[in-house]
Amino acid sequence: MRIDREAQWHILLGGALLLSLLPIAFAIANSFKELSEAYNNVFSLIPEHPTIGNYLLVFSRLPLGQITANTFMVALAATVFKTVTSALAAYAFVYFDFRGKNVLYFILISTIFIPFTVTMIPNYLTISQLGFRNNIIGVILPQLSDATGIFLIRQAMRTIPRSLIEAARIEQAGHLKILASIVLPLIRPAVVSTGIMFFINSWNEYVWPVLILKDKVNYTLPLALQLFISSEGGTDFTIAMAVSVITMIIPLVLYLIFQRYIISTFTSSGVKG
Amino acid sequence: MKEIVFENVSKAYGKTTVIEHLNLTIRPGERLILLGASGCGKSTTLRMIAGLEQITAGNLYMNGQRINDLASGERNVSMVFQNYALYPHMTVADNIVYGLKIQKLPKEEIGQRLQAAVDMLELNGLEGRKPRDLSGGQRQRVALARAVVKRSDVLLLDEPLSNLDAQLRVHARKELVKIHQTYRQTFVYVTHDQVEAMTVGNRIALLHEGQLQMLDTPANVYNRPANVFTARFIGSPSTNILAAHYADRALHIGRQAVRLPEFWSAFLGQKGCRDFYLGIRPEHIRLERDRTDNVFSGTVKYIEEYGNRCGIYLDIEDNELVAIGDKADAWPGKRVSFAIDAAKLHVFDKQTKENIGYPEVYNEPVYQYKSL
Amino acid sequence: MSGNALLAYGFILPSLLVFAVFMFYPLLYTVYLSFFEWNMIKPVKAFVGWGNYIALLQDPLTYVVLKNTFAYIVILLLLNCAAPYILAFILSFVIRRGRDFYKSAFFLPSVISLVVGSILYLWILNPISGPVAIIAKFFGITIPVWSKTQGLVIGVLSIITTWKVFGYNFIVLFGGITGVPQEVIEAAKIDNVPLHRIFLDIVLPMSSATGVYIFIMTIVQGLQYVFTPIKVVTQGGPDNASSNAIYNVYQEGFTLYHTGYASAFAIVTMVLFVVLLLAEFKYVEKGIYYEN
Repeated sequence: MRIDREAQWHILLGGALLLSLLPIAFAIANSFKELSEAYNNVFSLIPEHPTIGNYLLVFSRLPLGQITANTFMVALAATVFKTVTSALAAYAFVYFDFRGKNVLYFILISTIFIPFTVTMIPNYLTISQLGFRNNIIGVILPQLSDATGIFLIRQAMRTIPRSLIEAARIEQAGHLKILASIVLPLIRPAVVSTGIMFFINSWNEYVWPVLILKDKVNYTLPLALQLFISSEGGTDFTIAMAVSVITMIIPLVLYLIFQRYIISTFTSSGVKG
Repeated sequence: MKEIVFENVSKAYGKTTVIEHLNLTIRPGERLILLGASGCGKSTTLRMIAGLEQITAGNLYMNGQRINDLASGERNVSMVFQNYALYPHMTVADNIVYGLKIQKLPKEEIGQRLQAAVDMLELNGLEGRKPRDLSGGQRQRVALARAVVKRSDVLLLDEPLSNLDAQLRVHARKELVKIHQTYRQTFVYVTHDQVEAMTVGNRIALLHEGQLQMLDTPANVYNRPANVFTARFIGSPSTNILAAHYADRALHIGRQAVRLPEFWSAFLGQKGCRDFYLGIRPEHIRLERDRTDNVFSGTVKYIEEYGNRCGIYLDIEDNELVAIGDKADAWPGKRVSFAIDAAKLHVFDKQTKENIGYPEVYNEPVYQYKSL
Repeated sequence: MSGNALLAYGFILPSLLVFAVFMFYPLLYTVYLSFFEWNMIKPVKAFVGWGNYIALLQDPLTYVVLKNTFAYIVILLLLNCAAPYILAFILSFVIRRGRDFYKSAFFLPSVISLVVGSILYLWILNPISGPVAIIAKFFGITIPVWSKTQGLVIGVLSIITTWKVFGYNFIVLFGGITGVPQEVIEAAKIDNVPLHRIFLDIVLPMSSATGVYIFIMTIVQGLQYVFTPIKVVTQGGPDNASSNAIYNVYQEGFTLYHTGYASAFAIVTMVLFVVLLLAEFKYVEKGIYYEN
């Protein structure tokens, strides 16, 4: 009796899952179909005449190599800087006592709730004045630190027993050394998954690059993909699917590799106290 | 009142078997203790009664009805959890009556039962508090009250006193028995504490590695251990278990030997028992000051202080043995003689480690001290 | 001790610098800009006092946008807060097998760009050639041109956003619900408490700290996430029927170059958010149960 009830839930959940994952499978399948086959046989997940023609066409129309490289550079820079600045700040918030600590933490964290519309005009002006408009450096600059990162890494650091740090302090270890040789190795899963999420989010970033980047050579992938959108669905739809696949493949692979870390980090981030 | 019957019940998680072929009948209205070390399967057994664990094989009956697949809520049992499992966001009163409200009992009925439980468990004045504002003992009593108001036929208790400090525990033990005497539910009570088991239980079911070792009254579990495990588990310090040998009307331990009284030699002779494990409780070993004939001798290794008495750890023929005695009689390194109470011996089969039984004199109501 | 404090500030300084330049300064500068009329190019900004705010209040478009924003909030709360909450509950306490698989699988779309999501759903929901239309045609139903249909367009754009956001919210809520001890649920099960009551009476209040966080994030970040499908699919159309408070600021600031007006609108949006959050806190505060 209990078994049956569980089976019902599994059917329901499986259905919901199919709705969210099938689009991805369809996109991959259709990116390898010829346009005529895609139209006649939308539902088949395995192309009858598999072709990489769509991909070749995209590369001939767009500097896609350059665009992918741009995306990668932006995501990598953002990941490295965000991880370092977040880890440093989180360490200070966990292991130092200083005046205004709680207020400062609260102010930093509450920026999570500030909509980007409030900052985008001045930031656009700042980047323009610095001469980084239409340049990926302009995309990178505002992404050098991250409040969510400070929050997540701080949550992880708080699980380390204080006595461990005190033991190291007694051994005369400096704070940077403690951070590098004790704290970071202990919370490696949290740091890795936070870093992966930085990378993925930056890879997918759309709003800010769309304001800053003008020429196709400087584009990042989501911007390039946008070129293939027309609200009618468009005649280029198999090509659009190919660009979609190129855009999502790196985040997907990263996620599949690190999913255990990522899931457990976000599961344990459920705000407590 | 309900009878609960385990018929060949097994429970496995994947490949790990937790309970193996358990056969156990819990009598209506009794206080049955499931006793054992952690991981022995006692909590799992309790949770199977509650319907919180699925049964892998075998049958579980409650009053003749097979309840293997009956949902928890339909079994009409109540349970006290080890960590109490109080609803932290509800007041004491809400915690106690939440289940009754779900049952949609009439308001006056709920009020009456709440008042009765609050009175009995001395929770007066705490009704409006949240669990986090209560002491450990108070939380425990709220958990009890919540289980009691349901007036179910079976009350399941999973280590209900293990989070209390020692003094409170003694008080709470008496309270539990009082509750049982008021409501006469079937009590199934899980604990790893043998003193709790002895004082609370009508009967004790001792479990080890998923297997029932012995099921009997506290007195019998103590005085007539069914096997080596039971003899060792119950009592503190543990029953001494030594490899021994019977020959020529004498009990041999290593190269030492003492003559056995007639009733033992007749019994052992009749059983054809030559090599066995000897069980003897520390309090049944007596250090002898002057006697030298027909006694064992050993070297004192270590003294453990209990206040009134002390535990004397001896080495006899490379076996460790502990006796209860007087500090004045022993100090480390001293060679001592000791005698064993022949009417308090237990003999276990070498292979099966089961108790082989006792000579008839044991059934006499009062034991006489029969020195070897 | 003071040396220690100095070191602490040193550790925080890199983050603080970035936040100062790209978060706090712009926030103040936007407030400043909201009192001027400017188009980002003109060398002189004309001070207009509360002019932008008054214009904003008098503009009928403002109310259309606010109404849409509200509609988005309601739909997003249902799909991205209520639904994942229930799912997390079922996965924690009802289902015994496949938990890890479901967690991984439901999270998966949240690592994919919303532009990809938009393009996928544009095709799936294409009224003529999309898979849904083909299935619907089989049953004799025609799919309306949703991207041009008032009302419906908000629903579809919300669904696209949900596809992306659901997994993250679900995982965090799952984490919050895991904080509810198994025994408490078992105690309720023994008392024959029906599932929906366990959820409402026990799990919801005991995980409300996480719940409130996701509630707020659904509103604040949800509306920002919706920006992408709006920009990519409808550009706020038809006739501003899919625009929301976030998109409207972009539209005014970067398409129409009403810099001052856009700044004023952004500030009003933020103030509305803050008011909403405060009201939310005040209302829920009583019921919140924080662990420890």
